[in-house]
Amino acid sequence: MDLAVEMRKIHKYFPSSDVTANRAVDFSARRGEVHALVGENGAGKTTLMNILYGLIQPDHGEILIEGQPARIGHPDDAIRLGIGMVHQHFKLVPSFSVAENIMLGMEPHTAGVLRRRDEVESVRRLAERFGLPVDPTLRVGELPVGIQQRVEILKALQREARILVLDEPTAVLTPQEARDLFTVVRQLAQGGRTVIFITHKLLEVMQVADRVSVMRKGEMVGTKTIQETDIRDMARMMVGREVLLQIEKPPAQLGESVLQVKNLVVASSSGLPAILNVSLVVRAGEIYGIAGVNGNGQTELVEAITGMRPIEGGSVLLNGIDISRFSVGARRRAGMAHIPEDRLEVGLNLRASLDENLVVSRYRLPEFSRFGFLLRSRIHQFSQDIIRDFSVAAAKPGEGISTLSGGNLQKVVVGRELAGKPDLIVANQPTRGLDVGSIEFVHQTLLQARSQGAAVLLVSVELDEVMSLSDRIAVLFRGQIAGEMHAGEATEEELGILMAGGSLLEGADGRDAPAHPEKGQVA
Amino acid sequence: MHGLGELFTTDLIRSGVRLGTPIILAALGGALCHRAGVLNLALEGKMLLGSFVGILAAFYLGSSTLGTVVAGLAGGLLGALFAFLYLRYQVNLIILAIAINLFIGEMTVFFMRTFLGDVGTWSDPSIQQLPDIPLPVIDRIPVLGRMLSGYNIIVYFSWAAALAMYFVLFHTRFGRHVRAVGENQQAAEAVGINVPRVKVFALVISGVLCGIGGAFLSVGHLTLFTRNMTNGRGWIGLTAALFGQNHPFAVFFAGAFFGLADAFAVRLQTTTDVPPSLVQFIPQVLTLLALILVALRVQARVALARRAFRRRAQREVAAQEAL
Amino acid sequence: MKAQLRSRLFDQVVIPILAIISGLLVASVFVWMAGTNPLTAYADMFSTAFSCEAFERCDLFTTLQLATPLMLTGLSAVVAFRSGLFSLGQEGQLMLGGMMAAWLGYAVQLPPVIHPLFAIAAAMLIGGLYGLIPGILKIKLGVNEIISTIVLNNIANLFVTYLINFPLRADQSTTAHSHPILDTARMLPLAPGSKFGIGFFIAILATLVVTLYLWRTSPGYEERMSGQAPFFARFGGVPHEGAAIRGMFLSGTLAGLAGAIQALGVHYRMLIGFSGGLGFDGLTAAILGQVHPVGTAVVAVFFAGLRQGAQVGLQFSSRVPRELGGGIIALMILFVAADQIYRANLDRLSSLWNRLRRRPAVGEAA
Repeated sequence: MDLAVEMRKIHKYFPSSDVTANRAVDFSARRGEVHALVGENGAGKTTLMNILYGLIQPDHGEILIEGQPARIGHPDDAIRLGIGMVHQHFKLVPSFSVAENIMLGMEPHTAGVLRRRDEVESVRRLAERFGLPVDPTLRVGELPVGIQQRVEILKALQREARILVLDEPTAVLTPQEARDLFTVVRQLAQGGRTVIFITHKLLEVMQVADRVSVMRKGEMVGTKTIQETDIRDMARMMVGREVLLQIEKPPAQLGESVLQVKNLVVASSSGLPAILNVSLVVRAGEIYGIAGVNGNGQTELVEAITGMRPIEGGSVLLNGIDISRFSVGARRRAGMAHIPEDRLEVGLNLRASLDENLVVSRYRLPEFSRFGFLLRSRIHQFSQDIIRDFSVAAAKPGEGISTLSGGNLQKVVVGRELAGKPDLIVANQPTRGLDVGSIEFVHQTLLQARSQGAAVLLVSVELDEVMSLSDRIAVLFRGQIAGEMHAGEATEEELGILMAGGSLLEGADGRDAPAHPEKGQVA
Repeated sequence: MHGLGELFTTDLIRSGVRLGTPIILAALGGALCHRAGVLNLALEGKMLLGSFVGILAAFYLGSSTLGTVVAGLAGGLLGALFAFLYLRYQVNLIILAIAINLFIGEMTVFFMRTFLGDVGTWSDPSIQQLPDIPLPVIDRIPVLGRMLSGYNIIVYFSWAAALAMYFVLFHTRFGRHVRAVGENQQAAEAVGINVPRVKVFALVISGVLCGIGGAFLSVGHLTLFTRNMTNGRGWIGLTAALFGQNHPFAVFFAGAFFGLADAFAVRLQTTTDVPPSLVQFIPQVLTLLALILVALRVQARVALARRAFRRRAQREVAAQEAL
Repeated sequence: MKAQLRSRLFDQVVIPILAIISGLLVASVFVWMAGTNPLTAYADMFSTAFSCEAFERCDLFTTLQLATPLMLTGLSAVVAFRSGLFSLGQEGQLMLGGMMAAWLGYAVQLPPVIHPLFAIAAAMLIGGLYGLIPGILKIKLGVNEIISTIVLNNIANLFVTYLINFPLRADQSTTAHSHPILDTARMLPLAPGSKFGIGFFIAILATLVVTLYLWRTSPGYEERMSGQAPFFARFGGVPHEGAAIRGMFLSGTLAGLAGAIQALGVHYRMLIGFSGGLGFDGLTAAILGQVHPVGTAVVAVFFAGLRQGAQVGLQFSSRVPRELGGGIIALMILFVAADQIYRANLDRLSSLWNRLRRRPAVGEAA
């Protein structure tokens, strides 16, 4: 029972976003084990590890390394204690060679002058020792992502890391590269090192880990050995056994298909396929919910549909019109509204007044401007109407909105988006960070739009929200639809499995990794 | 008559070297800061300070060489002040540079008029111009000798500075840290490099270089100080640094090229009717074109990557549909 | 609500005032070094700058006339910054505008009022086009606008210098200049003894127009949103690229206008040393003026007063060199940019104050 890392009652609160990222979290990892730290985005796992690495300071709690209490105020301290971290976004200098990157900050030198050959030799020996072949002289910027990650790992090993933290390492890897990584990870563990593996991909956990700890909403739900658990179990722990919000929902009155997505292909910002061959249809009067763990392409899907990101293949049709090449403004004019996942930076301009925020998508309309001049009183009136209709508290038309609460800010966003009676509403994480009352309000508003004949595309990581609001549900995994079903037939378990990359087929419990997740299509 | 043609060229080169030296020094200073990720727009002010302090120190210490050294120190101090305000109080780089340039531009004249007699230009017969130093073996070489030998110490210093900067940037720890900070500050922080310290060093060194460059103007050739003596050379140095993509050798030659263009322009003015500004114009336009080309190259790469992605994706989709 | 108003007031008015006071305080050290009592020096400075003895000998007029180009280049900076682009190109745009106006001033024949209007319009157009270049380079190619405007300034400067020295040179006098403009093109002064003329009122008008444009029109709204919150603008369907480019065009026209007024109303020609830093001075006025048209105009007048007061008041009466004016301005913008100094210390002061207030009086129960 040799504990390499022990974190006790770690507590971290971020006042700027009013979020408790870690709430009295206990975490420990043994020497020589591969320990997976699992949870959705926002569960707090990255924060916990950043605390371990000294990038963030906890409010309360203590850390023991190899049984000794440790104060980790800065990554330097962590490195000295033998902790190495490979971040999701690599910290490499693109124009430097592999050797130069690995030895950065600890270059061999004589009175300041670099000893290049020694450097290259050391790195060659290091790579051999760990079975991670790299050419030390190649420029990092030109290397494939899988090799870059290898460089990052070697960087940590060079600094004698005995505890290696990998943050979502397979997010940028192909399946083959991921398999190679797992081999390396097992080797390192066999050599006595501790590898902590942050991920939300439960399939991989089953493939590589010895033990797994699951976090949810800032708390540690539990720790189990791999033998004691399976994908279904982990999914349940990750997603929660919350009581389903019982929402009164009149039966759907379906109309024409409003949104048609055909064979959509979208690239992520790093050039990887984020959405690969996605097709779906949303009809008037229905809510189509897309469930899935954050990071499986939701952002890119929504951005492609709303015009914020280019489409690399396939098409998007709105009311039968191909809008794939339309600008954002044109799509809005064609009847699309968008409740974005980031209301602070995207959905609103916190430096502007309420008026200016509300009129952004319609200031060109004749009712709000004439000959280029803004009709202030009409805009004012519009703001008053929205404040009244959506009960936005503490807001006045001509004044700023930066002091409004999250709930009220979202009311501003929702009010604005729904004001023009749009044909299609794309709602992306519409209740993120909101209090219960505001959540209820948003839900009611969406349901009302639905009964008035709007088509709603709801994208949310909150499974209970998707299940209670939607008429049909699809699960997005690795940029593809893993399954689509009517809400009445969906169970939390099944959705959880699909969200984690598992399969709904009998006998598939994740222990034998299938090449592709089967699609459980329901007509 | 044939010797005249030869003189024409070597004199031109000599003049070009002299005109280029302050530009080169400012450019090297700018390039180092850019490598560390700091856009240094105060080169002009630092140079002017160097000019002023240089000639004052030369006067009070009785030696132009010492004056040059003091000018360098003054420039370094100013660089440190710049770094302090930028890093500690997070003053906006550009506004800080504008303020410093303005302050030095005006206050050097203020001090000149307050303490040195109410004049617009100050000089003193006791101040000696920096002596020309012939290089022992080299000055014997027929044509090249005239071009390489017989300059004052600041000129040679600028050559040495370019070499030194190359060596430091690419063969020492400090240089590597500077480049890391400039290219990916997070990467540098993650391995424990003291980023503020690196930036301070870069700013101080660039201040020293600019100070010495400024001293060249006041004691290297003319032995006087006048209002706005630098006359935009700091900005030209910045342009040379950009043109040379912040690589010491390319920057050196860019600065030399700018100086040569200046010399050529002056020469043309005396012998023909072609205006100097037309010639000085060319390096500026070339710099702008260079900036545009770099941007276009980035765009081209992005476009190519996108096309490759689309082709791959199309094949994937087709394969899946076939199933 | 009140907190919001209070903090905005703080930012926009208190900090600049603190910066001004700090600048004057630090500069008083230099005044003292020059052997004069700072208080009398400052009194001299401000009284002369804004005094008016008689219609024919009015320093205030000169101050206002000096402020005119600053107000306009300041406006130019404001429009560019509000669109999200940190353009330093006012110098170059001013030079080209002035050159265009000075050339048209004698190259064409037009009746009196039409002539200057035509020249001004052409100057504004060329300034705008020149401003378009860095705008397009930034938006379409991602070229840093700070660097491109600096290089473009150099290019414009050299080009105009060439024109003055050669093709358009008037005579062989020591300072090269272009042909004086025809009388029909002149913008005559309103008061003898100074060059104070219509130009100042044009600048006031421009300030009002820009204010109206930015806050009351759709294109102005587009530019402000694109500059303040580009993601939001994109999300809302605002054509933010077009807005930014348009902002640069307008910025250029304003600087061109400044140049035209200088050429037609002050120098009546183009000459070496035409600009003398007018572009940068306007830029600094915009910074101190919190990037607001009206604030910029006020600060521009203040700066002009400083320089004029330093030149006339200090130099003649107190033997303090007039360069102090520029030095004070430099310090002021330094202090404005270093506003963290005030914020940090004021936070400390206010928390200390709060703690003092909560302490119970002697004898009272806690």
